[in-house]
Amino acid sequence: MVSPRLAIAITLARSASWASRLLGNNGETLPGRILLKIEPEAIALLAQSKKVILISGTNGKTSTTKAVAKIVRQIGTVSTSGSGSNLSWGAATALMSKTDFAVLEIDELHLPSVIAQTEPVIVLALNLTRDQLHRMHEVKRVADRWHAEFTEATETLFVADIDDPFINYAVANSTKSMRVSFGGRKHPDGAVCPKCGSYLVWEEVNYSCSCGLTNNVYDKKFADGSAAFRNAALANLVGEALGAEQMVFTENDLERTVTKIFGTKTAHFRLTKNPASWTEALHAEHKSDVILVLNAREVDGIDTSWLWDVSFASLADKHVIVCGERGIDLAYRLNVEGISSTLVTSFDEAIMLVEKSEVSVLSAYTAFFELVM
Amino acid sequence: MLEIIRIHNELLGTYGDRGNSDVIKFRAALVGIDSRITDVSYLDSLPTQGDIYLLGGAEDAAQLLSLSALKKDQALTHAVDKGAVVLAICAGFQIIGSTFVSSENQVIGLELLDVATTPGDKRLVGDIAIKSDLFEFPLTGFENHSGVTTLGIGVAPLGTVLSGNGNGINGVDGAVSGNVFGTYLHGPVLARNPEFADLLIERATGSTLTSVHDELADRYANTYRSLTY
Repeated sequence: MVSPRLAIAITLARSASWASRLLGNNGETLPGRILLKIEPEAIALLAQSKKVILISGTNGKTSTTKAVAKIVRQIGTVSTSGSGSNLSWGAATALMSKTDFAVLEIDELHLPSVIAQTEPVIVLALNLTRDQLHRMHEVKRVADRWHAEFTEATETLFVADIDDPFINYAVANSTKSMRVSFGGRKHPDGAVCPKCGSYLVWEEVNYSCSCGLTNNVYDKKFADGSAAFRNAALANLVGEALGAEQMVFTENDLERTVTKIFGTKTAHFRLTKNPASWTEALHAEHKSDVILVLNAREVDGIDTSWLWDVSFASLADKHVIVCGERGIDLAYRLNVEGISSTLVTSFDEAIMLVEKSEVSVLSAYTAFFELVM
Repeated sequence: MLEIIRIHNELLGTYGDRGNSDVIKFRAALVGIDSRITDVSYLDSLPTQGDIYLLGGAEDAAQLLSLSALKKDQALTHAVDKGAVVLAICAGFQIIGSTFVSSENQVIGLELLDVATTPGDKRLVGDIAIKSDLFEFPLTGFENHSGVTTLGIGVAPLGTVLSGNGNGINGVDGAVSGNVFGTYLHGPVLARNPEFADLLIERATGSTLTSVHDELADRYANTYRSLTY
């Protein structure tokens, strides 16, 4: 039974959702904020009536959440969080719907508290690499918090990509875990064992620490593949644990890619927001014209120092145009790497300079949403 | 050949400071000085014939590992005795100081700078600008640390803080002793402040750089000078 206070909170939150949409907003965070203001326990109370699945990690949260939601819809009704609404109020909004399952994307720092509140059946832990360090401070700090909560949540099944040593450490003491390896993958920030602090010994793409932390021992192994491939496999493992049939996903289903027409030009956008996602994106094929957009607002990460940890060498023979609020940071970084670019002040100007009919756009988080959503 | 030694980047590379060595190489090339960057990992021994040594910011466990490796052979101390230039950022700055605190234990550093770091009560995160007597214009960067660094008696700071926190005490940032420089500025600091890179090259080569010209670098440096103080 829903308590009177929760019922009132839901009614007001629904009205707010309707009003918010009327004003042209996506209506995903405001209702949750109102709900939690009136009933601070709303997340815990609403979660009791459904099976909750949480997805978190530095990269791939949104697309993997979509994949899991699609898989789980085969066996029941699903409510899910919208693009990037991954803080507590986004979760609260999604939990208001009467469904069998809630499949929620959760921010890395919010994950422990949302686990404690929702007691999820499954948590999918994707990866942890450097991102928004002004907020996260250190990767190890996030992993420590995950480890503590993942140990505490004895009823939850943790599906974990243990090729990432931070994820492996997070689930090291979990009661129920599905530890998955894709045959190993060198971690860009994995020089120190997150469990014991020793220098982590890597053999090519596999690690083995004297404290016992290793990706050579796993419950399930797949062939190596792109981030999109790995996330699809992990999403299907979540589905399998719930009794759903496997589904096939294309690379495009699991990448934050969007194609949009600007006048005579077709722009293929890809979301790039930290060293790991830039590196993954720069390995992909690109058109001969490439636009790079850099902002440094709160969710982009306000410090751009990390640009110097990304190699842009694959752009050497491209026609590179740079824009965005912090375009100059990127233009100088490229110049020092020996890659010339044209720096312009707006995306409109950038698209004018595109020579061919199609252009690849690698875009920071906030710019991605402004330009394509 | 200007020998640039990037120390333990796999440990001291958390905050993008590897770019400092790239900028030195780039600026040196603009004035016709050949240079070479050597990455020295935790598992390698540190060469003593380098001209410029660079240490960056790190997480706690990585900082301790790096210090333990550097203490083994005292190679950095020998290099400094021979006149080598050192630029150490954030956790690297703490490593080359006298003491710092790690997991509640006081640790003896390399003692290249007489500075002592203790944990502060809050994390100091954000844009920072300092004024150093070494440069005409302020230096800008980004800080992200919780250490409070106290200078020994008579030790010169790198500069006074115009905005931000720096050492977290007495309104100054960093420390300088001879050719050894410590600071909390990321950015990387040499990318944001190319004249600082030029100074390190001058100290390492013993010659004055007069004609370094890079319009984009100047524009970049000026953009943040106008924003952060």
